[in-house]
Amino acid sequence: MTAPRLGHSNLGLGVGLRTVHFEHILNHWPEVDWFEIISENFMDSQGRPRYILDQIAERYPIVMHGVSMSIGSTDPLNMDYLHGLKNLAKDVKAHWVSDHICWTGVAAKNTHDLLPIPYTEETLKHVSDRVNTVQDVLERPLVLENPSTYVEFQGSNMSEQEFITRLAQDTGCGLLLDVNNVYVSSFNHDKEPIDFIKEIPHEHIVQFHLAGHTNYTTHLIDTHDGHVIDPVWELYRLAHELTGGVSTLLEWDANIPPFPELHQEVLKAKQFMGEHLPKFEIHIDQKTEASGKESLSTPLHFVPVDVE
Amino acid sequence: MATESKNTDLPELSIVQQWFHSVVTHPEGIEQGVNSSKALDLIPMSRNDLEHMVTRSEKVSAHDRMNIYANAYYARLIECLGESYPVMKRTLGEEAFNGFCFAYLQEYPSTSYTLGHLGDNFERFLTDTRPDADDPQLGWPDLLIDLARLEWTILQVFDGPGIEKTTTLQLTDLQAIKPDQWLSVKLQLVPCLELLALHYPLNEYYTDARQQSDDTKIDIPEAKQTFLAITRRDYIVRRHEISSVQYILLSALKSGHTLGDALERAAARSSLNDEALANELQHWFREWVEFSFF
Repeated sequence: MTAPRLGHSNLGLGVGLRTVHFEHILNHWPEVDWFEIISENFMDSQGRPRYILDQIAERYPIVMHGVSMSIGSTDPLNMDYLHGLKNLAKDVKAHWVSDHICWTGVAAKNTHDLLPIPYTEETLKHVSDRVNTVQDVLERPLVLENPSTYVEFQGSNMSEQEFITRLAQDTGCGLLLDVNNVYVSSFNHDKEPIDFIKEIPHEHIVQFHLAGHTNYTTHLIDTHDGHVIDPVWELYRLAHELTGGVSTLLEWDANIPPFPELHQEVLKAKQFMGEHLPKFEIHIDQKTEASGKESLSTPLHFVPVDVE
Repeated sequence: MATESKNTDLPELSIVQQWFHSVVTHPEGIEQGVNSSKALDLIPMSRNDLEHMVTRSEKVSAHDRMNIYANAYYARLIECLGESYPVMKRTLGEEAFNGFCFAYLQEYPSTSYTLGHLGDNFERFLTDTRPDADDPQLGWPDLLIDLARLEWTILQVFDGPGIEKTTTLQLTDLQAIKPDQWLSVKLQLVPCLELLALHYPLNEYYTDARQQSDDTKIDIPEAKQTFLAITRRDYIVRRHEISSVQYILLSALKSGHTLGDALERAAARSSLNDEALANELQHWFREWVEFSFF
């Protein structure tokens, strides 16, 4: 029997570490439970980003979240990258290392986007083999996140949740359930988000992600640029109930508010943890105002320089 | 209008991924991407067949859904280049800068897991594609190439190896060198010290462009050969304007020459007599030690 959260502790309510908040964190040491870092922003750093991370890692639990493993790609795994991850994880005492169920590039080219994979037996075998290799290198279970997607393949012959369930069961990997991504992908593919939340293996879920998205009426884009909307909170309530509660993290990557506002947003999660609170119906929200300009999905982080 | 028949057999995964990549990164969009020779070699289809490969939703066609990835691809990386080259972006204006980036990304797509290498070839790209390669007069292309070199160097120094956790040479270390050893000694420059020879005096311009509000007009400086030493102390990038003789001297030391060789090269370019140069050297080395150049 698989232990809840693969045996990981529930770290509480954390936020994604972003450069705009460096000064606030160093000056105030806010009472946030934990931080998630974008692995690629720090693993090669020999300058200020790494210097600051080392200070933060002395005081807070750190989880590493990557965007470049490209676990679904047919290119060979990048062993230098994996060893870089492993070294950083050791240095900052990362509680776990996560990435996405996607591919980011092929033929040695990196789009730096989280691209969708077909849900087939061939892909499942391919990804499972690679997850096993990664876990051997990292010497720890990998934690994988469901990405937001904007297309699905006609040739897929299983649902995303079946693919993820079998991947987790075949490899023993952990899952990072991004509740907002479930909502975004479900909207985009005319599916019920609640089915996804109910059907994935809850004991493998190590972490939740929460974030805002942008509603273009016909489709949603995972922009991480605003508040978490109510239907996503309702999905979170269900996920919390089904898992018994796992580490929860808020991502906010564009139009980033001051740290106290960011922290307040994730603290709202406490309202959705009580079993006896009144519940309202989970629905796909069509009322959000559409933005005129197409925003970027999964915005990237670039560390600005300090120059005198 | 897509045909009704559905072929749900997917080609093997590597073919699907190469096809998908070539379609969503095609500079002219999804339709041209699907019809490109590269994509057609992988998976022959017309735009109308796109829904045989990827699904549509109730409200959005397969073409428009693929277009979400295509729009994001260039926008995301151009935004990142804009953060790497903020002064060049300001100098050119967003539209022109984005145009350069769009062309650059087609020539040099990212091949690294980190965005830290995205601009590795930007200076080379600007040099190779300059419109006036045969014109001996300095002009805009030289200014842009200088800016690319300056901003990329600053980025590398900011996040590259530094000296914050090491001991640098002190004045007493220099004073302890015996006079008869001076010429044969090799002084090792710190790993974060980079030396630049530029066609334009961009140091002050860079400062103004980073500090002044976007609506402030900043005059482009006239061409004038300028030399900079760029280093990092306390995790902050520091820029020092240096003379041509200092540049020659420091460059020679950086290349591993002895102090004697380096001084010989510098003296050959200096207009000072030996005594005056010797006096200057004392001042220079005292300052460079203070700046932790060694």
